[in-house]
Amino acid sequence: MNHWYSVLFSSLRIENWDQEYTVFQPASGKTHFLNAMGLQILVLLDQAPLTLDTICMKLAESFSMQANTHFRQQIAVTLQRYEALGLIARTWKTPL
Amino acid sequence: MRIGELSFGQFRARLAGEGLRVGIGPFNIRIQTQLKSLAKNLHALYAWYPLADGELAEFHAQVVPKHSLRRPLTPLIRFLVDNQAPFPPAPAAHALPTLEWGINLAIALRINHLLLFHSAAVERNGHVLLLPAWPGSGKTTLCAALMHRGYRLFSDEFGLMAPQSAQFMPIPRLMPLKNQAIDAIRKFLPEAVLGPEIHGTQKGTVAHVRPPEESIARMHEPARARWIVFPKWVPNAALQLESLPRSEAFLLLASNAFNYEMLGESAFDAVAHLVRNCECRRLVYSDFDSALAALDRLTDD
Repeated sequence: MNHWYSVLFSSLRIENWDQEYTVFQPASGKTHFLNAMGLQILVLLDQAPLTLDTICMKLAESFSMQANTHFRQQIAVTLQRYEALGLIARTWKTPL
Repeated sequence: MRIGELSFGQFRARLAGEGLRVGIGPFNIRIQTQLKSLAKNLHALYAWYPLADGELAEFHAQVVPKHSLRRPLTPLIRFLVDNQAPFPPAPAAHALPTLEWGINLAIALRINHLLLFHSAAVERNGHVLLLPAWPGSGKTTLCAALMHRGYRLFSDEFGLMAPQSAQFMPIPRLMPLKNQAIDAIRKFLPEAVLGPEIHGTQKGTVAHVRPPEESIARMHEPARARWIVFPKWVPNAALQLESLPRSEAFLLLASNAFNYEMLGESAFDAVAHLVRNCECRRLVYSDFDSALAALDRLTDD
């Protein structure tokens, strides 16, 4: 199963605007606008590579939500979007 | 020496010869043309600007005749900046707005040491009120009203911010009113000095407001911003001046700046600094009196 991990998280410039965040990504020169959950995904993936299921479980816990199918689909779409932006990447092997 | 101190003959000779060097805010612009009608308009509307004789010019603008086989009976002109023609030929009667839009375009495309917001900017009580908006929002009209009510004009088009110092640079240029805004300003501000009405331009009828003498005399005095108001003129709307979340203000400003992506991290820092240090509002208005009263209250010391 895919493991997702953040790319150059430490290089990101993050500004907090009352639980909404603007994130400058030096590698692309782009600014991204994230809500609290969107940023939490990056934080989690900076701490350790995780599978989609684990990410969903941790987010559901943090935000007191149910990790149902719809939620899982939304997170999967977000991960793919982040991957396209170069914020995260995936590995097919379980990292050591 | 100011342009108004030149006789029309002297002024026209400079335009037709080596070019007239004029200081406008932080830039010097060299203008060349042999077009008498354009010279007459510029002599009247540029009267307060200083000559920049002997100084380097950032922009070299020309308005030259253009002969067209397809339109042999219509006198046409072409605008050139540094010998490049960014626009198709225009009728000679449109020379003034073509020159003004051309200079704006050159500034928007070439200036990258400053962060360029697409915004009106005025100063009151020592601080800048930034009015960022897209075309059609009425920012030029509102700006014209403000500058005739005691606000110092920085610009109706550009918020020029030095990213490191957070200072805004004045660049008080002619302000092109369009269509019904012309009559609205004539009625609201009979004292405003307007150039001729020029019909049939790509933006309809245009008339330029001359900036006040004081705004031009103080165009080298920068100031920091304290208020950011996103204005929108809506017919018959009740006045609203409501607080805007800083996150939204950040996004609107970043997407509004001409060169935000070009400047990268320094633009991100500059916008973050600006939003943190300003009161951010959204303004919906339909009449000048109530809008000006609300902005006066906001900017009172």
